[in-house]
Amino acid sequence: MAYFYQVIALPFITAVFVPFLHKRINPRIHTGWFVLFVPLILFCYLCSYIPIISAGRIVHLNLPWIPSYGLNLTAHLDGLALVFALIISGMGFLVTLYSIYYLSKFKEALHNFYVYLLLFMGAMLGVVFADNLFVLYVFWEITSISSFLLIAYWFEREKSRSGAQKSLLITVFGGLSMLAGFILLFLITGTASIQALMNKVELIQSHPFFVPAMVLVLLGAFTKSAQFPFSIWLPDAMEAPTPISAYLHSATMVKAGIYLVARLTLLFGGAAEWFWLVAGVGLVTLFYGSLNALKQTDLKALLAYSTISQLGLIMSLLGLGSAALYFGAGKEGTVYAIAIFAAIFHLVNHATFKGCLFMVVGIIDHELGTRSIRKLGGLMQAMPISFLLTLTGSLAMAGLPPFNGFLSKEMFFAAVLKAGEMPFFQMGRWGSLLVFVAWLASVFTFVYCLIILCRTFLGKQHTEKLKKKPHEASFGMLLSPIILAALVIIIFFYPNVLSRHLLQPAWEAVLPTFAGAASLQYEIKPWHGFNAALLMTIGVVLLGFFLYKTFLKWRRFLRLYPHRYTLNNLYIWLLEKTEVFSRAVTKRYMTGFARDYLVYILAFVILVVGGAVYLFNGFTLDFSRNSAVSLYEILLLLGMVSCAITVLLSQSRLTSVIAVGGLGFMVVTFFVIFRAPDLALTQLVVETVTTVLLLLCIYHLPKFKKEKSPWRFKLVNGVIAIGVGTVMTLVAFSAYAHHLFPSISGFYKNSYQLAGAKNIVNAILVDFRGFDTMLEILVLSMAGLGVYTLIKLCLTRREEHEGSQ
Amino acid sequence: MNNTIVLPIVIPIIAGMVMVICKNMIKLQRYLSIAVTLLIGAAAAFLLEQIKREGVQTLYLGGWEAPFGITLVADMFAVLLVLTTALITFCCLCYAFSSIGADREQHYFYPLTLFLMAGVNGSFLTGDIFNLFVFFEVMLVASYVLITLGGTKMQLRESVKYILINMISSSLFLIAIAFLYAMLGTLNMAHLSVRVAQAGQGGLMTAVAFLFLIVFSIKAGLFLFFWLPGPYSAPPTAIAALFASLLTKVGVYGIIRLFSLVFYHEPNVTHLFIGILAAVSMVLGAMGAVAYWDIRRILTYNVVVGVGFILAGFASFTLEGMRGAVYYLLHDMNVKALLFLLGGTIIHLTGTDKLKEMSGLIRLHPQLGWMFFLAALALSGIPPLSGFIGKLFVTTGTFQAGYFWLGGIGLFTGLLVLYSVMKIFMQVFWGYTNYTAETEKGTTKGLLWPLGILTAVVLFLGLGAEALSEYVDLAVAVLSDPRLYVDAVLSSNL
Repeated sequence: MAYFYQVIALPFITAVFVPFLHKRINPRIHTGWFVLFVPLILFCYLCSYIPIISAGRIVHLNLPWIPSYGLNLTAHLDGLALVFALIISGMGFLVTLYSIYYLSKFKEALHNFYVYLLLFMGAMLGVVFADNLFVLYVFWEITSISSFLLIAYWFEREKSRSGAQKSLLITVFGGLSMLAGFILLFLITGTASIQALMNKVELIQSHPFFVPAMVLVLLGAFTKSAQFPFSIWLPDAMEAPTPISAYLHSATMVKAGIYLVARLTLLFGGAAEWFWLVAGVGLVTLFYGSLNALKQTDLKALLAYSTISQLGLIMSLLGLGSAALYFGAGKEGTVYAIAIFAAIFHLVNHATFKGCLFMVVGIIDHELGTRSIRKLGGLMQAMPISFLLTLTGSLAMAGLPPFNGFLSKEMFFAAVLKAGEMPFFQMGRWGSLLVFVAWLASVFTFVYCLIILCRTFLGKQHTEKLKKKPHEASFGMLLSPIILAALVIIIFFYPNVLSRHLLQPAWEAVLPTFAGAASLQYEIKPWHGFNAALLMTIGVVLLGFFLYKTFLKWRRFLRLYPHRYTLNNLYIWLLEKTEVFSRAVTKRYMTGFARDYLVYILAFVILVVGGAVYLFNGFTLDFSRNSAVSLYEILLLLGMVSCAITVLLSQSRLTSVIAVGGLGFMVVTFFVIFRAPDLALTQLVVETVTTVLLLLCIYHLPKFKKEKSPWRFKLVNGVIAIGVGTVMTLVAFSAYAHHLFPSISGFYKNSYQLAGAKNIVNAILVDFRGFDTMLEILVLSMAGLGVYTLIKLCLTRREEHEGSQ
Repeated sequence: MNNTIVLPIVIPIIAGMVMVICKNMIKLQRYLSIAVTLLIGAAAAFLLEQIKREGVQTLYLGGWEAPFGITLVADMFAVLLVLTTALITFCCLCYAFSSIGADREQHYFYPLTLFLMAGVNGSFLTGDIFNLFVFFEVMLVASYVLITLGGTKMQLRESVKYILINMISSSLFLIAIAFLYAMLGTLNMAHLSVRVAQAGQGGLMTAVAFLFLIVFSIKAGLFLFFWLPGPYSAPPTAIAALFASLLTKVGVYGIIRLFSLVFYHEPNVTHLFIGILAAVSMVLGAMGAVAYWDIRRILTYNVVVGVGFILAGFASFTLEGMRGAVYYLLHDMNVKALLFLLGGTIIHLTGTDKLKEMSGLIRLHPQLGWMFFLAALALSGIPPLSGFIGKLFVTTGTFQAGYFWLGGIGLFTGLLVLYSVMKIFMQVFWGYTNYTAETEKGTTKGLLWPLGILTAVVLFLGLGAEALSEYVDLAVAVLSDPRLYVDAVLSSNL
């Protein structure tokens, strides 16, 4: 238990030093050699947990991050986490080893590559160990980011960039949905700890947020694990260097969604929605992936679709297995629970055989400079070891003995058959369709496995199409796939060793409520008599062979599906339309004219303030406190109105300015009448100065032209002007009538005692609120500076640039 | 009574005045302005600790007790913002040293920046609504001068719009204060709070509250943001960054302060309405950010999205939502400054702001590229960077309040934001490098280290959120319980 966090953080720590190290040693020594020890240490360290975990114990550790909000790096180390962690570190080691030979130390930006890789490794370990949902999300997004960077590793290529962008958008979309789902779970239970959630299953399942939370979380899992219809990012992710495709995009990152589904099975499982969503989407993906794999001519693209299909298979197994929770612990439940065991088993198997296949494809690409099956063929003689490796990998994937894929594939068939007979979850007639789809997808899988194997290594060699002469790869490059292929075979012969130490604890971790019941025992047997599953496998082989032989005849039917209506084009269309639509909308209201903006703002004022007064009955009139209106005041008012109208209607600037001045002077008179001589004097000065200044400016202005604007323009102006005026007046009257409290101004009346000033206004200005006055002086001086700089400093664009140098 | 509160306002004013006199002593102005930001930062840090120990601090200016004189109030929320302002001004000033040009330096760039800072700090610290208006004027007039400083054609054209719209909003502000005074007879915000609570928030009061909301929305760029993209892309980089980071946030502060302290009695009307405006701003802002292919425009529309997101958290009016809003506000100020400075640096290097004309900059400027990458991720709330905690709590808050649409829009526009900034990153930094050090239009000499500071803060606010949690929670405590504020201001009388 000691040093757990230090070891788990090793990838992050090393990532910090890699760039410096790289600068030092490259190109003398390949940087990868220094990175290699990280997954190695991790793997060995994690292996030391196998005895603890297989003894049925669970390790729970805590490291505070933001303890105030309960966001802690709590590590929950159980069977499920350990299986994933071992795959992450183990594959990490093999991939790093492989990359040392794959990536040239002279041409490539190795420091970037390894920093991203380490970042991913650390984050992925974080995902599987995190007990806190939000911390899990943190690491989840880091894996998306590092995947983005790795896909665009060769960032000069347009396709790498667009592939990276696509994967980022889709996985972050899913991540955000998942976050929303997590928040709902948090709101239901008040906790974000997965283990604590497990104790509140009933509360969660009876809550109205149950289905929304489930769908949102599944969106995250499906996008990450490239389930239909979000699978489109995975084929484009193949732009990444092959070690990355083998690592992130087949063995580890894309299985994060599977991990999440497995982890939360206890929470959501047992509900029909979960069963159908997970199993249904899984099966559709399985079918979609295998069908599309047939169309591919690029080996890597073929493997990408095959990964999609296999991920669908694992996902559907998890869905089928969730039916066990419908029954709860017991014999009946355990029958279904085997599907979950099969899922975990196949997950491990897939990592081994798919990793092996990817690495071989990488070798072919590396040695021959192409991955197109149109140019390949007959490589068996030149590349015998690669051939054997491909044989192992592809037959394992096809589900043939003596390879590990056979075992899990049989279990898959058994699970599908069992689910097809389910008397609940409205299975009914869907059962047979379920079985048929699963079987047909397996036939397609068989066919494309043969394509990989035979079209590449058997048949005629097309030497003229190749840039380089075919030859076997170096030993270093072959080492990793050889280890994986060996595992493929070893697992077939000793599956129960793996099962006892890893799969069984992982199974129990998915279904902890079953664990105590002792019924959770499963012995993997390669031979279990002639049962339906075996017959299905035989059927797959027979039909598969037939279809492969006739492939060239029916291949064109695959292409009948119109290219325009693919999911990929939907994505491109969406992206383009979002941009076009956004621009159209934005340009529509962002006209660039200040007048339009003022119209928006003032119309909004009328609507909102006027609307609020109207809706909430805010309008009151009360003239009881008013003093009598004298004749002078009425006359002054009339004068002001006529001045204002003159401004609007006058034909010359001079008249307008004088009318504005006149209006100001009448306000001054009002102040005089209301006995505010200070204000009157101030206003008088202001009015005089502004009028004089305006008159001075007029001299320099161009000739006055009457604006000829369309009547609609004027109408809008008129409506807005009258509207704002009306609303303000109404609110002003109401506010006046709404005099709720005595004003604080009473306090200032004895200003002489308080401040020694006989004039209240002066006392307020320079004492009670002297701070305001000081700031207003500052405002004025800034305005002065503004005028000065406007006159003095007139940079042109060019000068500005020179000035900045 | 705590005299420290006035320092963030008075220090920049005095220093600015000195600089106006010493017009041609550029060296002095540089050192002095840096010293001022550091001093204010220190004062703010000092206040933070004091508030943590003793609660909300007040200062009755001129010894005139509330509600009769002007009161300065330093609560945790305000002081956090003052501290952030000091940091950002510091970085923008440092950036300006090597980018703003001798002409502008000689024409009062430094004093005007300090006056702007005084206006911003004052707006945060004042406890008097009329005084808030005055500080808005200080800030705005400083910004008017800064936006025209240099007098290029584009600056002048945009400044006309900017000044016109802000004049209108200032007069609306004044009218709104007059209405409020007519009804309640007081200007002190704590006193306003008490009186509104006593009289109840009737229909008319809500209408006036909406008028205030409109005023602050114009400043904040909440829904009424039409004026914003133009003027924010006209001035030189350092000034634009200051504007984007600080000015809109003062409007946001105004909304949060007023609707948590005074008009908090009808959250189903006022806060829901803020939420709707926030949602519309996020959508329109994100659309604007997605629509264009030039750096400046993409970034300015992102300012609008950020404002919407902060206020979405506030609109939920839950503890979580407001905590998120505070975190996100601090993050947004920092990351907007960083992004605008980065964007400006890119334009400075390439001589264009059209994305389609740039490519492969990362080969020559890896640090710049990775800083941009981090800032872009932080902006869209990708963990574990600074935007994440805010995003998490804002979304939790909106869900808790039952505003699922609001939280949903917040998350989805986050994706669009990510798309818009990643577009910049991919276009500018990736692809074939078509520049060499010789063909570049400028250098990054002296520009990178202020950016480095801001990037470090991006990392710190995310990874080290724990260090802040205590302060943020104290800030939220005052926002959710206005009595804490009121009691501190009016404890001695009433």
